[in-house]
Amino acid sequence: MTVVGDSGLPHDAGRRDALHHRERLRKKITEQLKERIGEEDIVAAGPEKKIRVPVKGTKRWQFIHDRGQGEGVGQGDGAPGDVLGPADDGNGRAGEAGIEPGEELYEVWLDMDDVEELLFSELSLPRLKAKTGDVEVTETTFDQIARNGPQLDKKSTLRENLLRNAKRGRVSLGGIDKPDLRYLSYRDLPRPRNRAVIFLAMDVSGSMTVARKRMARLFFYWCVQFLRSRYEQTEIVFLSHTTEAREVSEEEFFNRVESGGTKVSSAFEAVQDIQRDRFPADDWNIYVLHVSDGDNFTADNKRALELIEMLTGICSLVGYLEVDSNSGGSHKLAGYYEREASDLDRFVFARAAEDRELWPALRKFFASDDVEAAIR
Amino acid sequence: MSGYTLGDLRTIDEQCREIAAGELGFDVPDVVYHLVAPEEVYFAAANGLPARYSSARWGAQFDDAYGRYRRGQERIYELIFNTRPIHAFLMDGNSLVAQTLVIAHCLGHGYVFDNNLWLGAVDREIMSRVGSAADRIADYMGAYGRDRVEDFLDACHAIAIHQGQAQLIRKASAPEPTQRARPYDALFPSEVAAEREQVEGERAAQRRRFPREPEQDLLRFIEAHGHGLEDWQHDVISIVASEQSYFLPQMRTKVINEGAAVLAHQEICQRLFLSADRYWEYEKLNAGVIAPHPGRINPYNLGINILREVIRIATEPDDSERELWSWAGATDPFDQVRRVLRTYDDEALLREFLTPKVCELSRLYAFEHVSEDPRRIRVSSREADAIREVLIRQHSTMGIPRIEIVDADFRGRGELLLEHRHEGVGLDEEYARGTLTQVALLWGKPCTVRTATGEGAEQPIWFTGHPDGNSERQDSEPHG
Repeated sequence: MTVVGDSGLPHDAGRRDALHHRERLRKKITEQLKERIGEEDIVAAGPEKKIRVPVKGTKRWQFIHDRGQGEGVGQGDGAPGDVLGPADDGNGRAGEAGIEPGEELYEVWLDMDDVEELLFSELSLPRLKAKTGDVEVTETTFDQIARNGPQLDKKSTLRENLLRNAKRGRVSLGGIDKPDLRYLSYRDLPRPRNRAVIFLAMDVSGSMTVARKRMARLFFYWCVQFLRSRYEQTEIVFLSHTTEAREVSEEEFFNRVESGGTKVSSAFEAVQDIQRDRFPADDWNIYVLHVSDGDNFTADNKRALELIEMLTGICSLVGYLEVDSNSGGSHKLAGYYEREASDLDRFVFARAAEDRELWPALRKFFASDDVEAAIR
Repeated sequence: MSGYTLGDLRTIDEQCREIAAGELGFDVPDVVYHLVAPEEVYFAAANGLPARYSSARWGAQFDDAYGRYRRGQERIYELIFNTRPIHAFLMDGNSLVAQTLVIAHCLGHGYVFDNNLWLGAVDREIMSRVGSAADRIADYMGAYGRDRVEDFLDACHAIAIHQGQAQLIRKASAPEPTQRARPYDALFPSEVAAEREQVEGERAAQRRRFPREPEQDLLRFIEAHGHGLEDWQHDVISIVASEQSYFLPQMRTKVINEGAAVLAHQEICQRLFLSADRYWEYEKLNAGVIAPHPGRINPYNLGINILREVIRIATEPDDSERELWSWAGATDPFDQVRRVLRTYDDEALLREFLTPKVCELSRLYAFEHVSEDPRRIRVSSREADAIREVLIRQHSTMGIPRIEIVDADFRGRGELLLEHRHEGVGLDEEYARGTLTQVALLWGKPCTVRTATGEGAEQPIWFTGHPDGNSERQDSEPHG
């Protein structure tokens, strides 16, 4: 018989695979969050509270018998007719690795910082350019290769070794020694902070029902969260409009209840006025996002589009989101834009009928430039 | 290590072997024991085999089980692998008494591994293949991206269990329809011609059908006929299918295998002349191993009670048992136990030896799910016949729904049609649809399963999964 003190296996294999598992889980959490950004409890959580995210899609799929149907055998007390507590998965199958159907439902507690980190890493302000009046800030960047530093850089170490060997007439790796070692190091770089202003315009007219207003506000809530966490230097201008538009405070914007008719052009006129007044295009990257249910006075559609065309001349993006629980209608604004302005550069419109469509809309507006380049 | 040396373990193994070979007649091939840290034991348990390819799948199981261990909620004592030579992991830090029990326990497993007919089909040289498969999968992860390979592995594992079981009797394939010449054929030329046409039509239809016979081995069929599989994907499917075939025979012999192991450790430890305090510790451990699991079945408990029943029948049968078994009261009990261990699987064992006495000892009951609250169960019977019927039904399929490929050109679009052989219980809809998206990922086109709701299979339904992850349910046959 043999007893050996070791298995000869790598000791950290378990931890290694566990890390892979957690990394995959993290990705699935992100997917899950995107579906859930329409849910109030995330928004209501506020910056301090943690939110609970049950992560679906981590189930280990298998064909299994209908749960709670059929029969089984158990061990223990009980006379025929007695009702007992929850059965252990019915069939008492013994657990060989990888064999039992795995109902793996993870629940993860996240604070808002995590949520934002997971979600917003995919978003950016498109076509952000240098403008006069940009501020400079210093940022620490890890991109220097140096002879000393906090972290060994294997690639450049190998390259140095190859070079050193080649100088001595040997074309191969080997004898890695102190002079070869290269480290990843950091430097402080001055980075311009590009100045940007974003106009958020919301339709608060009578046709915006409670549900539609709720969606609009959720959308703007995430816009604001995103901008504040990623672009500190961004100015945000809040506008509410019915048949006329006016600039409002953030608090008013998220809470104001109004009614009346809708003239979308009023919002863009207000944007134009404020922009001319306070945000010259040479000094500012300009973004406009408008959310409405699309029930505009038909006669006003043409005027709205003219203003949008003008704005796209100076803006990096003009976006329009149509919130409409019974979506579709071609008489609506999105339908009009689709017919008249589908190839207008820098104009992006989207529809969201359900909460889970809010994330794709955000993605569409705040697609990073390289993603956009790939689409075009 | 806790106050003992590798040499001490060697001595214990020698003492145990002597008793096993002498009084139990268990001749066991050499076992290589590895004394390893708990973390490694748990990781090998998550893998099912040591040195398997790296995957988040094992990481999830490891995270879960090792976490429970560290919180003191569970403890694995031993792990044994049906390889040649047999390898077993002992957990470092366990007491010497625990290691003694485990070593004796492993000798029982060793005997079954080496002698049981059903386990004989296992490829015991699997370890060399496991190692090279691990290297190849690591290469694929490097070349095609870890996530892509992990997703593909997940899809393979979703259906890996659906393989043909080892059969002692094979069903002959259905014959092609033929037309026989009869004496008066010449008198009815038009009828004969019509009949010939019909037979040829049937034959052509049968030849067009693909697969010709329902196919149980899902992964291997998909590997051979899937649409647009890349080379590495062919390889990954083969790896998962072949490693799975190591586990299936162990699943079908779980009860008998654990019964033999418990019998070995009980018989051996009782003969080792342990000191009183050590014997007390051993008894506590032993009681823990064979404690009934409320609400389900502890295979250790059921296994040992059945083997003890075999021993009782061999030594002190009643009259009716003498009529049932020719060997009752007329054979060496361990001879009879060895005969059972060599030739039975769990289904056969339960069919023959799940007597009323065993049901009483193991405190078994049959139950049904409460229809108003499916998570609760209602005890339906404590009669051996009723319990046996349910248990056999479960063990003949090992609780796995029977799924077969019946058409690889479904709707004339190269889609896959599976059929669930309904045995009184339907498929769980959520899981069926989720699994089908995985099958579709492998097959490269939508995949559908035909099953039924209700006990009598009276209402057929169809679930379809798509490669993009969507799925649907249809209550009438989907057409092209």
